[in-house]
Amino acid sequence: MTGLLADKVAIVTGAGQGIGEGIARALADAGAAVVIAARRAENGEPAAAELRERGYEASFVRCDVTLETDVMAAIEHTIDAHGRLDVVVHNAVSPPGPPGPVQAVDPDVITAQIATSTTASYLFARVAHPHLAANRGTLILLTSPAGMEGSGNLPVYATVKGAQRGLLKSLAREWGPDGIRVNAIAPVAWTPAMTTATQANPTLQARLEARTPLGRIGDPEIDIGPVAVFLASDMARHMTGQTMAVDGGRYLGL
Amino acid sequence: MARRALIVGTGVADRIAAGLSGWEIERAPGAETLDLVVWADYPTAACTPRRLTNLGLAEWNEACDRPLRAVIDLAREVHEPLAANRGTFVVLVPLMASAGGAEYTALASLGEGIRLLAKSLAKTWGADGITAHSVTLDPHAFLAAQDAAGIAADNALHDPPLGRVPDDTDDIAPIIAWLASGTAAPLVGSSLVVDGGLWMPG
Repeated sequence: MTGLLADKVAIVTGAGQGIGEGIARALADAGAAVVIAARRAENGEPAAAELRERGYEASFVRCDVTLETDVMAAIEHTIDAHGRLDVVVHNAVSPPGPPGPVQAVDPDVITAQIATSTTASYLFARVAHPHLAANRGTLILLTSPAGMEGSGNLPVYATVKGAQRGLLKSLAREWGPDGIRVNAIAPVAWTPAMTTATQANPTLQARLEARTPLGRIGDPEIDIGPVAVFLASDMARHMTGQTMAVDGGRYLGL
Repeated sequence: MARRALIVGTGVADRIAAGLSGWEIERAPGAETLDLVVWADYPTAACTPRRLTNLGLAEWNEACDRPLRAVIDLAREVHEPLAANRGTFVVLVPLMASAGGAEYTALASLGEGIRLLAKSLAKTWGADGITAHSVTLDPHAFLAAQDAAGIAADNALHDPPLGRVPDDTDDIAPIIAWLASGTAAPLVGSSLVVDGGLWMPG
């Protein structure tokens, strides 16, 4: 995919680790300059440094995606440091808390889940809009299969991930005339949270893989990243309002 | 003894309440037992057409995040009263939540979020004897008539086969009552689209 995103500039939230980092690497491999937006510098700085070591244009900006001032500063940094903005990937999410029914969820977890998913999606969409419109750019939201089939164990997570899909479909209609495409990726892949879960539950990985037609959990950079590259590129120029499940076939009934 | 329903919201919620004849209707949480909960408390801010770029953060919060939190909190509050009577939890959802609607990003985000909440509740509350569903309705149930007509035109692939919009009181309320009946017990976590055939998804 080298060169697919030449001269494009992308910002990826939650890019200090996991799926966000994998997508950032794939976008950079495809030629984009990439801004690593992360809440913690100890994750974000090394992720950006690694891209530069690979010979790519990249920078880090500290960003709490739930704060309007931070989102505005992150977009401003992108323009100041790289000259333009073509691709916004909102991947950041707060920890969903321990599995359990809705009546057992910590109220602070509910607050954080709504803030990082719906509020932050709105903020990045609104603040980035002038730049995306100027460049006929694209917004990519990271949702989840849970946002399509629901989740008994993570009901609030499923709710906010569903809310992102409602947002993207309406935004696709609203921004189509502006030339902006809006799509989502629903991945199942190795993330720090997935690693923690499989370490805590030794049978989880085997059960997940057994129920996945391709027989494995996805890799953020190799499996998820190229789909983000595709959606960000002109190859997907006639595609908007869609959610791509990138899950090894785990959720076929959607 | 009349069965007891909690109906949350105004507008379409009022019309649904009017159609639940023979039910004891509550309009605020607090009852110790409930057979049915219906949520349709969409704020005016969500039902007013606005481009996302014209929504300030406080307006977005009022149109989407606050009511989304309110539904989650309601679900937490009514779990025990519903479990006591093996009841049913229903959310009413505008068509735009699934099909998209320009200038209704907050409404669609809220609606699709609570549709997934209902599916998620169904997965765990089934063990407590509670069923949960969403019922997707024509935009006319939520919006001013002139606004709803435009959204319906954007989403419809054909003319509505029934030639009319379903009536909330006469057509929709009986379907909700059926969802809360024993006959519908095997139906779990469903997403019903009751729009007179306007959309026909899937």
